[in-house]
Amino acid sequence: MTSILLVGLGEVGMRAARQLADTPGVKRLLLAGREFGTTERMAEALGPAARAEAIAFAPGDPIPDGVDAVATALPTSVDHAVIAAAIAQHVPAASCDDDADAIDSLRALDRNARAGGVTIAVGCGLAPGLADVLAKHAASSFRTVDEVRVARTGWAGPASVAEVRHARRALVRSWHQGAWREEHPHGEELVWFPEPIGARDCKLVTGGTALLADSLAVPRATALLGEPPKRTWLRRRFGDDGEWGAARVDVWGRRDDSHDCVVYGVIERTAVAAGTVLAVTAAQLAGALDPQITEPGVHGLGSLVDPAPFLAELAQRGVRAARFEGVPVR
Amino acid sequence: MKAFRRVLLVLGLAGVIGVIAKLRGKGGVPPTSGGWRELEAPDFR
Repeated sequence: MTSILLVGLGEVGMRAARQLADTPGVKRLLLAGREFGTTERMAEALGPAARAEAIAFAPGDPIPDGVDAVATALPTSVDHAVIAAAIAQHVPAASCDDDADAIDSLRALDRNARAGGVTIAVGCGLAPGLADVLAKHAASSFRTVDEVRVARTGWAGPASVAEVRHARRALVRSWHQGAWREEHPHGEELVWFPEPIGARDCKLVTGGTALLADSLAVPRATALLGEPPKRTWLRRRFGDDGEWGAARVDVWGRRDDSHDCVVYGVIERTAVAAGTVLAVTAAQLAGALDPQITEPGVHGLGSLVDPAPFLAELAQRGVRAARFEGVPVR
Repeated sequence: MKAFRRVLLVLGLAGVIGVIAKLRGKGGVPPTSGGWRELEAPDFR
């Protein structure tokens, strides 16, 4: 009986819960939210077929017995305690934290995870996450890859908006010619996402650059992030229940004697995309979905998953990627 | 008064230049040819 523990029931967590409940291989879904009463109501709302159960669990608590995988959709850095507990108890886990420092602190657990033979997937959201898988898929069409650039616009809940604003203000570490370089980026860069998002101003950020550099062994990798609109709390109060998000992945490389570029894009509500990616990853870690992911250590999705079946599974769940056909312009 | 006008003129010019720079952006050339095609089954192999 495959059992998954989902910790954090915000915008992303709720979507992940629905996706896990709709996965036939998941026989038991344990939900852990901030307030037990709300969590219980949510478990009921998923319906009896979901076999969801609310539990009292807080970051730092031991993972309940019988759990095959853990998925965390918690505010930045809060999931470190949950992932550490999962490693200690040899339970695979997936995190959708997209903060660069939080990702670094999770990657610092790599040695423990390898020693314990536990697989930990980090950055399981839209970007980092789905974008890394698209980058790997694009890279497979080249003999050598010269550069990867990932851009994202969109945010899930209030915690995500705060994280995006922080990332756009922070000092940037970019991967340049196989080495880290600190930059103080000035100004924005216009990025063309699939319609109807279209052109958005984006700023260079650290984001999940380290995960990209690890998975593709590419000499140059950069991440860009769009600016959240002002007064998002007011927009939500008046019925805007979630922001549309988009990611664009540009991969430059060489095939035969030519230098070429492959551009992939995806457009979806950010919370829906991130929740679906988190749920599919957790289900694959638990063995509830094929192929099961087993790669001890702490890795990004680009290093862990086989792009084709992963993208096919996401497409089946409504998160569809697109390829730009034409003459891409930087 | 003259100095005040000069300051106003300089600030105005700076604003106009800033707006032009913002509108022009960086790398802001739209992809004029081509379009987005959804990935389908053959792409997942």
